[in-house]
Amino acid sequence: MKKQLLCGVIVVSLAAALLAGCKKEDKDSDNKDGKKTFTVGFDAEYPPYGYMDDNGDYTGFDLELADEVCKLKGWSLKKQPIIWDNKDNELNSGSIDCIWNGFTMNKRENKYTWSDPYVDNSQVIVTKTDSGIKELKDLADKTVGVQAASAALDVLQDKDEQKELADTFKTLQEFADYNTAFVELEAGSVDAIAMDIGVAQYQLNSRGSDKFVILDTHLNTEKYAIGFKKGNAELCKEVNEALHTLKKNGTFDKLAEKYELTDMVCLEE
Amino acid sequence: MSFSVILSSMAEGMERSVGIFFLTLIFSLPLGFLIAFGRMSKNKLLQAIARFYISVLRGTPLMLQLMVVYFAPYYLFGFSIGNWRYPAIIVGFVINYSAYFAEIYRSGIEAIPKGQYEAAGILGYNRIQTFMKIILPQVIKIILPSVTNEIITLVKDTSLAFSLSYMEMFSIAKQIAARETTLMPFAIAALFYYVFNLLVSIIMEWIEKRMNYYR
Repeated sequence: MKKQLLCGVIVVSLAAALLAGCKKEDKDSDNKDGKKTFTVGFDAEYPPYGYMDDNGDYTGFDLELADEVCKLKGWSLKKQPIIWDNKDNELNSGSIDCIWNGFTMNKRENKYTWSDPYVDNSQVIVTKTDSGIKELKDLADKTVGVQAASAALDVLQDKDEQKELADTFKTLQEFADYNTAFVELEAGSVDAIAMDIGVAQYQLNSRGSDKFVILDTHLNTEKYAIGFKKGNAELCKEVNEALHTLKKNGTFDKLAEKYELTDMVCLEE
Repeated sequence: MSFSVILSSMAEGMERSVGIFFLTLIFSLPLGFLIAFGRMSKNKLLQAIARFYISVLRGTPLMLQLMVVYFAPYYLFGFSIGNWRYPAIIVGFVINYSAYFAEIYRSGIEAIPKGQYEAAGILGYNRIQTFMKIILPQVIKIILPSVTNEIITLVKDTSLAFSLSYMEMFSIAKQIAARETTLMPFAIAALFYYVFNLLVSIIMEWIEKRMNYYR
């Protein structure tokens, strides 16, 4: 009886594990029809550039662009969500081909091989409407949240940019993702969040633009581009050319319109 | 995003978490025995290796171990690690859990009085027979509650696979939370883990009862 029971448990668990294993293989083999796989690494908690859509699939301005590039080149696109802190490890070790997800190129110029910039971005401060913070100097002795390893953090730590401002803060609190940061902002444990303007707008639209406000003075202006592993100029060139083709045939602008980024895109023909 | 899509996405993630769970158990439960034997071996070298293995794997965070297993092939040997993500997660979990299981097994094996080995010897059992027929059945009884503890921890630890960007249930919950800008998916995640652990503990309790044959 005991043996039968043990056997039963083992058989069931083996079957479950095998099933899980097979499913995974199926997904991988989609890409094995001789087509080149183009693996894009992105932060899936970064709307509107990369996030989950209504059906639980990954989408966003950047991912749809990547999809169009792949259609043009006859590649198959693999969307690989990554932990933002680990992006360099993922890229260097070859588990992704590029970082394409609202990726700021300023001050990272020498760390990656870059495509042409395609979005004009700014880092901004978001705060609660009733916080009494109206200007950057009101942030003195306040707790400010920022995403770990983000461009906003770089700006706040750079002597030539906003380090002076950051030094007036009470604390600079790092978060793994903006969702948590916003919950803390609502709960009052942080007073303001430094983030990309496109992402800030998505958050405000979704959470109610009457509750939060973006300060008029931006921390900086910067550009988004696609980051490839340093030295991978060949792939970078191919993607770059495809990107310009998409600009010429109007696909690029159509996507920008869809994601309400028309004012921000800056790719030249 | 409708509630049913949220649930089905998270159920899909749960499937992957459960995959990690079973694969880890299948490999780490037997591997734990191997290490426990090494740890109790009279061979000093084997014992030292097992001691070192256990001390490192219990003494460092699982999240760190996962990252080492995943990224080390590239940073140490320059291999490209394209399809290594899932295997790395399983290897990381298996070696970590085998260290804990090894110590649980040791506690069980050492709880058996020496007299039983001597009695078995007199009755003509050889070493393997003694262990398989006399010692092991008692050991399993002794260690079951500790093993249950460890298995329940494993269910919750599967969420650490997020550190290697594997889309298990908790990562999905985080992504849905980011999209919907709410914390509701985390409540669902809690429920998923709880229900699964309830099942685990019911099954383990039932096995325990079955083993209670001296009552």
